[in-house]
Amino acid sequence: MLFQDVAKVYPLPAGDVRALDGVSFQVDRGEFISVMGPSGSGKSTLLNLMGCLDTPTEGDIYISGTRIGDMSDAELTSLRRDRIGFIFQYFNLFPLLNIIENVTFPMMLKTGKGVDPERGREVLRAVQLDDSLFTHTPTELSGGQQQRVAVARALINNPDILLCDEPTGNLDSRTGAGIMDLMTELNRNGTTIIMVTHDPHIAEYSRRTIRISDGRIVS
Amino acid sequence: MIFWEIAKRNIRLHFLRSTLAMLGIVIGVVAIASMGILGNSLVATVSDSLSSVGDSVIVFPYAGGGGGFGGGGGSSENMKITDQQFQQIKRAVAPSVAIPVLSTSERMKVGVGGDDIVASVYGVDPKYLPDLNFELSAGSLNNANSGCLVGSAFAKDNNIKVGSRISMGTDGSKGTLRVTGIIKERGMSFDISTDNAVIATQAWFENTYKTENYDEVVVKVKSGQDTADVKVVIEKQLNKRDKVVSVMDSKATLASIYETFGAVTTFVTAIGGISMVVAGVSIFNIMMMSVNERVKEIGIMRSIGTQKKEVMSMFVYEAAIIGVIGSAVGGILSLVAGYAISALMLQSTKYLFTFATAFSVFEGVGFGIVVCLACGLYPAWQAANLNPIDALRHE
Ligand SMILES: Nc1ncnc2c1ncn2[C@@H]1O[C@H](COP(=O)(O)OP(=O)(O)O)[C@@H](O)[C@H]1O
Ligand SMILES: [Mg+2]
Repeated sequence: MLFQDVAKVYPLPAGDVRALDGVSFQVDRGEFISVMGPSGSGKSTLLNLMGCLDTPTEGDIYISGTRIGDMSDAELTSLRRDRIGFIFQYFNLFPLLNIIENVTFPMMLKTGKGVDPERGREVLRAVQLDDSLFTHTPTELSGGQQQRVAVARALINNPDILLCDEPTGNLDSRTGAGIMDLMTELNRNGTTIIMVTHDPHIAEYSRRTIRISDGRIVS
Repeated sequence: MIFWEIAKRNIRLHFLRSTLAMLGIVIGVVAIASMGILGNSLVATVSDSLSSVGDSVIVFPYAGGGGGFGGGGGSSENMKITDQQFQQIKRAVAPSVAIPVLSTSERMKVGVGGDDIVASVYGVDPKYLPDLNFELSAGSLNNANSGCLVGSAFAKDNNIKVGSRISMGTDGSKGTLRVTGIIKERGMSFDISTDNAVIATQAWFENTYKTENYDEVVVKVKSGQDTADVKVVIEKQLNKRDKVVSVMDSKATLASIYETFGAVTTFVTAIGGISMVVAGVSIFNIMMMSVNERVKEIGIMRSIGTQKKEVMSMFVYEAAIIGVIGSAVGGILSLVAGYAISALMLQSTKYLFTFATAFSVFEGVGFGIVVCLACGLYPAWQAANLNPIDALRHE
């Protein structure tokens, strides 16, 4: 993944916000990168651009050689579905679906039909969630358990890239460490991980750290 | 599919408000369909009671101004059709048969010690009776000078049988008529309304009332001739200088009556449509609510790879489920409502199970579903086109 002179401007009534400004860097396959910086520095904006949720105002972003600015919304959506896994700070599970359904949801999107729940169970076991919870609804689970489900959901389509926006931001440190161990193992198995955090302990799990401040990379 | 499942679960989660929205659709469908059913039954009822008229043209003396309907009894001599005019009509309409009819209303008494009643009395020459196509439920067409036919309702009300005697006029001053036949129920009619009348002979009538002029002339139009043409011919012949007769074309009158009923049916159905509009607004409302409270969820869906059209389908399903269930329940209830209204207003439900009823129900149900889909479409479109980033940031 390659960022070339990327800027992102949010036009607001009170004036344009330049959330990212002249950002260039490259992410290679198999890397584990953490993105650090103060609140409002543009970390989430950066992650959203990597996740093809948005296109840059200036500059170019290439994923596997394809410029994402040239892709249609439907193409970007398919790309997110098939090649990118998202993990959010607030877990963001679907309240109307049970655990298995939450996990297999991206797979149902991909195949366009029902999915063997066994596939969901496999992934849930891989993230060390207890079998007895599989048919519960998300609100019946603890934060750590929910985040494990979210990780499983992000993994079900075997993505190349895992994007995490403060994945431990809502967990106590012990539970957070559990999630981070999981991430480390995924990365060891070849998944590229980019993780936004402002916790230096969490950033230690990664192998490279990008620091950003006021929309610019400082190191 | 998963979006269908989510739509179902969301409706179940918001059971009360979904049910209320369905109720709106139910009412809308019932309003439209039952109004349609009522209108259809009304038309069917009227057409049934008028169908015996057949193709006839009726000539009344011109009453000045309004003209038309029921140039009935009691009119003065210059408000009648003379024999000369009748001959003119007869020649003009040949080969159709022109029948001169005399009429008045008269006080009479049935049996000994019975109450005085008032009913219409017609005078018709027996030779024309076959042309009038009266169907008898008892007895035979009378030929005797003092014989008469009576209508079914009149016979029933006054307990009259073939052979009964009716003393005409106050204290029998107009003599006695003997009932020779009872005419089956014919319903309302433009020419001679027999159901509550006594049909005496022309000779008896002229003799009793000392008159030689007619109150109306009924022309039974032969097949092959057009009622409208016959009407024109008569008007041309008789109204050359002054307007002396008014001519009613039963077929055209019938057509305009149906047209009026059709317009009334359309109008009341449209009023039913207003309640459907209200229902549509409430569907729109809950769909907007459904979208607004799930902005974040939509953002997550979009970010993990849900296409716009899939988000859209989820909300369209939701509107469709409400629409189909509401409309189906409405369809069933409108049959019940149609039954109740027909029974109450028309005292008859025999016109309920017809093609027209099925069409009205179909119309109401179809309209209900279409309204739901139409009102769900914009919220669904809005949901699909939310910016995923803004939606994700939404709390
Ligand atoms: N969707 C948006 N619309 C408008 N302004 C935004 C949007 N997203 C972020 N911003 C603004 O851009 C800046 C960077 O935001 P963000 O990337 O969320 O920072 P971080 O995640 O580092 O806290 C902030 O000033 C924020 O207010
Ligand atoms: Mg952020």
